[in-house]
Order: sequence, then C-alpha cells, then structure tokens
Amino acid sequence: MPSQSGIYHEDYASDMQLRPTTMQRIRQIAIVAAVLLMPFILGSNELRIVNQVLIAAVGAVGLNILTGYTGQISLGQGAFLAIGAYGCGLMMAFFNVPWPIALLLGASITAIIGGFFGLPSLRLKGLYLAVATLSAQVIVEWVIKRWDPIDGELDGRTTDALNIPSNLLVNWQWVDANRWLATVGIVILIGAVLWVTWRLQSNFQRDRFMAYRYLLYVVVGLIVVFLSGLIVILQTPMLSLQDVFTEDWRLNGNEYAFYCFAMPVTILVIMAATNLFRTHIGRAFIAIRDQDIAAEVMGVNIFRYKVLSFMVSSFIVGLAGGMLALHSTAISFERFTIEVSIEYLAMIIIGGLGSVSGSVYGAAFIVILPELLRTLGRTIAGTDPASLSQFNRILPFAQQGVFGAAILITLIVESGGIRKIWQNTKDYFRLWPFEY
Amino acid sequence: MSRKLLSFILILVLALGMVGISNAQDEEPIKVGAIFDLSGPTGDVGSPYAEGVIAYVDWRNENGGINGRPIELISQDYAYSVETAENLYTQFVEEGAVVFLGWGTGDSEALRTRIAEDEVPFISASYSANLNDPMGDAPYNFLIATTYGDQMTIMMTHMLQEWEAAGNAAEDMKVAVFHHDSPFGTSPLPDAEAFAESNGVEVLAVPMPRGATDYTAELQQADDFGVTHIIVQNVSSPAALLAANALDFFGDPEFYDFGCLNWCADELFVTLAGDAAEGALGVIPFTPTTVEVDGQEAPRDYLGGQEELEAASLHFTQGWTAMSVMAEAIARTLDNEMELTGPNIRATLESMEGYETGGILAPVTFTPEDHRSTRASRVYSVDDGVWVEASDLIDLRAMDGDM
Repeated sequence: MPSQSGIYHEDYASDMQLRPTTMQRIRQIAIVAAVLLMPFILGSNELRIVNQVLIAAVGAVGLNILTGYTGQISLGQGAFLAIGAYGCGLMMAFFNVPWPIALLLGASITAIIGGFFGLPSLRLKGLYLAVATLSAQVIVEWVIKRWDPIDGELDGRTTDALNIPSNLLVNWQWVDANRWLATVGIVILIGAVLWVTWRLQSNFQRDRFMAYRYLLYVVVGLIVVFLSGLIVILQTPMLSLQDVFTEDWRLNGNEYAFYCFAMPVTILVIMAATNLFRTHIGRAFIAIRDQDIAAEVMGVNIFRYKVLSFMVSSFIVGLAGGMLALHSTAISFERFTIEVSIEYLAMIIIGGLGSVSGSVYGAAFIVILPELLRTLGRTIAGTDPASLSQFNRILPFAQQGVFGAAILITLIVESGGIRKIWQNTKDYFRLWPFEY
Repeated sequence: MSRKLLSFILILVLALGMVGISNAQDEEPIKVGAIFDLSGPTGDVGSPYAEGVIAYVDWRNENGGINGRPIELISQDYAYSVETAENLYTQFVEEGAVVFLGWGTGDSEALRTRIAEDEVPFISASYSANLNDPMGDAPYNFLIATTYGDQMTIMMTHMLQEWEAAGNAAEDMKVAVFHHDSPFGTSPLPDAEAFAESNGVEVLAVPMPRGATDYTAELQQADDFGVTHIIVQNVSSPAALLAANALDFFGDPEFYDFGCLNWCADELFVTLAGDAAEGALGVIPFTPTTVEVDGQEAPRDYLGGQEELEAASLHFTQGWTAMSVMAEAIARTLDNEMELTGPNIRATLESMEGYETGGILAPVTFTPEDHRSTRASRVYSVDDGVWVEASDLIDLRAMDGDM
C-alpha cells in the first residue's frame, strides 16, 4: 500500500501499518463508534437497509477481488450469490444444520463451483471471459428453477420459495428472560476477547502485529465498553432490552440480531480482503490484471492464480449469499437474476475498481440511493388518492431516471468512482492552500 | 392580566384541545399499506390494478370513509423486486398499516412468514395456492379469487368438455402450458399435471423467457409435442405476443385452442393481439367490464361512464374489488365494536360467508381452515374483440364435494 508523499516512516512497523495517518485513525474510531451505536439510533427500517448494505458490501468486495484486482470480468455474480444462499438455506431448512456451519459450507461450495467456472479464464480474456461467466449465471438459474431437489419438493415440502427459519441468530427474548445466564455469557465473551488480544500481542512478531495495533486497541476497547453496557442493562431490573431497542420489538429484534452478526462478518471480510493485497497472492492477482504476460515472465503461475482468484472471490460472494438467506424469510431465484450480476458490477465501478473501500461505498450508493428516491417520491406523491394516481404515472419512472443520472454524473465527475472522489477531497484539504 | 381572564383562556384552550383530540380519534385514518407494480415486468396489468385500489379509497373517503374514518393508503411502486417489496412492507407496517394489499407471487410468498409474525391481514393479487395455508405458514394471507391451480383445472375441464363434445378422445388432447418464468408462472403446473393424470390428457410445460420478442422457438417445441391446446399463465403483453406468433406459426386458428388464465385474459390482451385473440378462452374470476353486473355501477359512476370503465380494464375493477373486500372486513370489525387489530380483522374475514361483490366475484367465503374465497369461475371467450361468457360457473368446491 503506497503512502502519500510527505509521510515518513522511521521503522518497519510504522511502514506496515494499515492506517498510517492520525486522521485515518480518528476516522477508524468514529466508524467503530458509529457501528456500535447505529442499532440504538436507527429504527428497524433504517437498520434493515444498513443490513442490506452490509450484505451488498460483502458481495461487492468479493466481486472486486475478481474483477477489480485480478481483471477478470464476471457476469456470474447472481449465480454465485444464489449458490451461497441456497447452499446455506437448504442446509438450514431441511437438514437443521446450525447457521454458522451452513454459512461456511455454503460459501465453500460456492468457492468450488466458482473455481470450476473460472477454468475458461485460462484461454479467455476480457469480454470473452465475461460471456463465459454468463454461462454460470444461465446454468445456475436453470438448475435452481428446474432441478427438483432445489425447486420443487423435498420431504414433501415445497421449496418454490425456500422458507428460512427465522430468529436463529440471537434469541433476545431468551437473553431478556435469563439475565444472569446471559451476563455470565457476556463476561466469558469479554474474557475471551481480552485473552485473544493478549495472545496476539505477545505471540505475534512485533512488526507484523504493529500493523494492527491501533486498530486492535480501539476495536477491542469499544467492544468491551459495549458488552459492559449490555451487562449494566441486564443487571438493572428497571431496564429491559426492549426499552433499549426502539419501537417494535418483533421487527427491531430480528434486524438487530442480524446486524450483530453481519457487521463483524463484513469487517472481517473487509480486513481479510485489504490484507490479501499485502501478500504475494494478492500481488500476483494485481500483476495478472496489469499485464498477464509480464506476470508470467516473472514466474506467476497464471492459471493457478486466476482460478484461485475465482475461488477466493466466490467464497466471499457465497458468504454474502448465505447472509442474504439468513436475512430473508424466504429466497427464490428471482433474487439472483442477471440484473443482480449487473447491479454488483455497477457497485464496484461506481465505488472504485480495485479498491476494497470503494466496494463498500459503491454498495452503499446502489442500495441507499433508490431507497432515498423512493422515500422522496412518496413524500411528493403523498397519500391523497387524486395526487397519488397522478404521480404514479410519472414518479416510478422518474426515480429510475434520477438513479441512472446519478450513476452517470458520478462517473463523469470522476471515472475512478466514489473512492477517488473521496481521495481527491482529502488531498484537497491536505494540500490546501496549494494545488498539488 | 387578571386571574379570571387567565383561567378562562386556560379552560378554553383545554376545551378546544379536548375537542381536537376527540375529533382526531373519531376521524383517525385507517392506514392501509399497498405495493404496486407500475414500472416492472408486470406493470401492464399492475397499473390499472393500482388505479382501481386508489380509486376505491378515493370513492370510499368521499362517501364518508369506513364508519366515519377515512382510509389512508400508504403505497408505492416496487417494480416486481422481492427485496423492495420486503423493504416497503417493513416501512409501511412500521408507519402503522393495519392491513396490506400485495401484488406478486414471489414477494407474497417471501413475506408470508413475516406477515404471520406481524399479524397483518394480507390480500395479494397473486392467487397462488401456496398462499392458502391458514393453519400453517400463512395464517394472515387471504386469496380473494380462484387460485391459479383451480383456474387451470377449470380451463382444462372446459377445454376437455368441448374437445370430447367435438368427438375427440381425451388421449389425443395435448396441452402446452406456456408460463411466466417465475413462481407466479409455475404455480398452476402441479394442478395441470394432476388433471392430466386423472383424465388421460398429456401436458407439456413451456417457460416463456422474460423480455422475449418472439416465441417461435417455444411454439416449435409445442408443435413437436403435437399440441392441440395452449394455456397461458403470464401477463397480457407477452401472452398477446404469443397469440400473434401462434397464429403466424400454425397459420390456422382452427388448428389449436388458445386459453389464458386470469392475468392475461383482459382487454389489453385483445387490443394487443388483435385478430389473433379472436376465439381465445379466458378464466376470469373478476367479471369483465363488457359483461354487465351490479358491482360495476360504483366504479362506472366514479370514472364517469361505461366507455371509461372499459378503457380502465377489468384489472381496475379487480383492484377496486380487492380493496372493497378488505374495507368490508374493516367495517365489520368496527361494527362489532372490536379494536382494529390484525387478529380481529382476520377473525372478521374468517367469518365472512357469501359476501356479495355485486357479481364481480363469486360470493366471498373465508373460513379459519380455508382462505380461498371461492373455487369457482366462469370461462369467457373473445367474440369480435369482446369477452363474452363461454361457460356456466364451474365450481370445483361443488365438484370435489367439499364444503
């Protein structure tokens, strides 16, 4: 990761830091604080959208590894999401596999199938490869629609719309009812977090560990504070968890539970992806993207790393698919069409190709903007029947138009995507009052 | 300011406030959530349906609302996306919608467990039999029209009768079911197969790819199968295209029979298919605008004439009727002086017996065990560009001997 000019490193540890500047560290703390506070501030509907952003972010990071970093265009994103979702969902719904195992198995299956569909990349490049991955989309969609064990009957129950058992993640009612037991659990959890931190600190090579030091301290600190807060709530008889979560318990409880699971997964995926490109594997990916012949001359086994890229990417996309299955009460193939593949490509292009943070920005953009436009549209149209029937003829199409225009404008302003816009803004203030 | 004046003002303000509050309680709007497809793949029939729902709300509010309380419709286009449907549903329920009008099969099936958790009575425009599970997964879903599966059985029953009346053997009847490539499209397939099994008819399912501009390849597939009857489970625009392609492909309309289930048997289909629509059959649980019944009076007056009603299409009356059944349930709940909650409205709906919609629907009956309002429908056919009755009411409940 190249540092900007003007930032000097005095030892290896600081050179290897993930977040080298003070501003970045402050931003990190702000993000962690926001992450922990979000569920208490937002209503269930907003939290639901945040959860969707998290799922999309994981999926976009996965796709960006393949398309943005390794340069292999994929139109099979929807298919890989579907494999992850159905893999996880079928195991949970019909074989009662616990969700963490189902999620990882689903992602692993996706990785294997993704690797298989990556085989044509040996001979095909660019648009030709895109069409080859399109076959993954078509084949997987067809299998889901026509193959009976997946779409049809299983154990005499229909799987047309696969129903996912809900409330599996965290049973808050149970926590509320068994406060002492829950408190003991949380204390053990805090202990485990502190123990792992201590082990990391003492066992890891100093320079390796230094890269994470600030981040780790901040994250661990905030998690401990947060968990201690939960204990305080649990041990105060006047307070119930229901008071803490706003509004409707049923709606919010589920979204909150999902958030508690999805946020750490997303952070893990983001950190794993960021670090991947600090290793020789990630650098091989980038070398293949930049000039595959040069990479081969340098001794990079192109075939191996291309397939590996497909597998790593598919694993993460499969994870996103599994998260989608856990988030929804039912999944059907309609969620995994070619439009979804294109939508994800749009996410990483708008966010910034070859950038992990860009994937997150892009996912947020594509998920939140239509929601905002819809809310705006609803505010304009109101609930008066006369105006409603008038606006219904225009607004849905206007929303789509504005959405398209927003994408276009973003890309015209800065073809590097939102990540580049953010970078430019930071540079402007850092260099001010000079131009460069 | 004197103390007397001050207390007078205070009392006045309080009194006004009280009046304000009690008024507000009387006229507190009843919130109804709804999602429509205006811009998605089923927007051609979704738009008039939405118009019908909105028109009913407007008409009802103009006529004093439900027991003096206006209906507030919280609605939005969802472009047939399951994810958007889930978002809008959550949002509207959070905003206080007590009942909900849904649209597609995929999203209604995806939402049913949440609906059950939230206890929101739900009338979808999807008549998929998967939604009729009052004792199990879908206790709050109500189907106001004949299910797709039952429509399929009714259509095949009628076709087989005609076929045998013309002196043909059942074994020679070969039905190709052209269907929308989605849960909506595949919903009636098991019933088609079951009917075929018990009557010795042969069935072939042919998916219609989304956004296709030509169905010759699919028709070739049906021709190889030796098709004698085509039944379509899709919306009007693709069905009309298929009808036109079929006329070109087979050359002679005598060569095959063409039938539509309810979402393509409408005025739009006739307009788009033109000559190719002539003689087509349709299972239409909601009486077409060209067949006069009492229930059309209110929407006709609202729109300003028969011509406007025909232009608005039968999906307009369909939306109107769906909303009217829900409004009736709300009114009955209020009449019984029950609090307006999901479980109470559900109980009222389940006690509905033979509710008349002025001939637009067969009488609506829900029971705690069965959330299908009716299992009967007529078959209509296109005669000179107009849907006319082609059969008597075919009632599967009576045929199966249940109820």
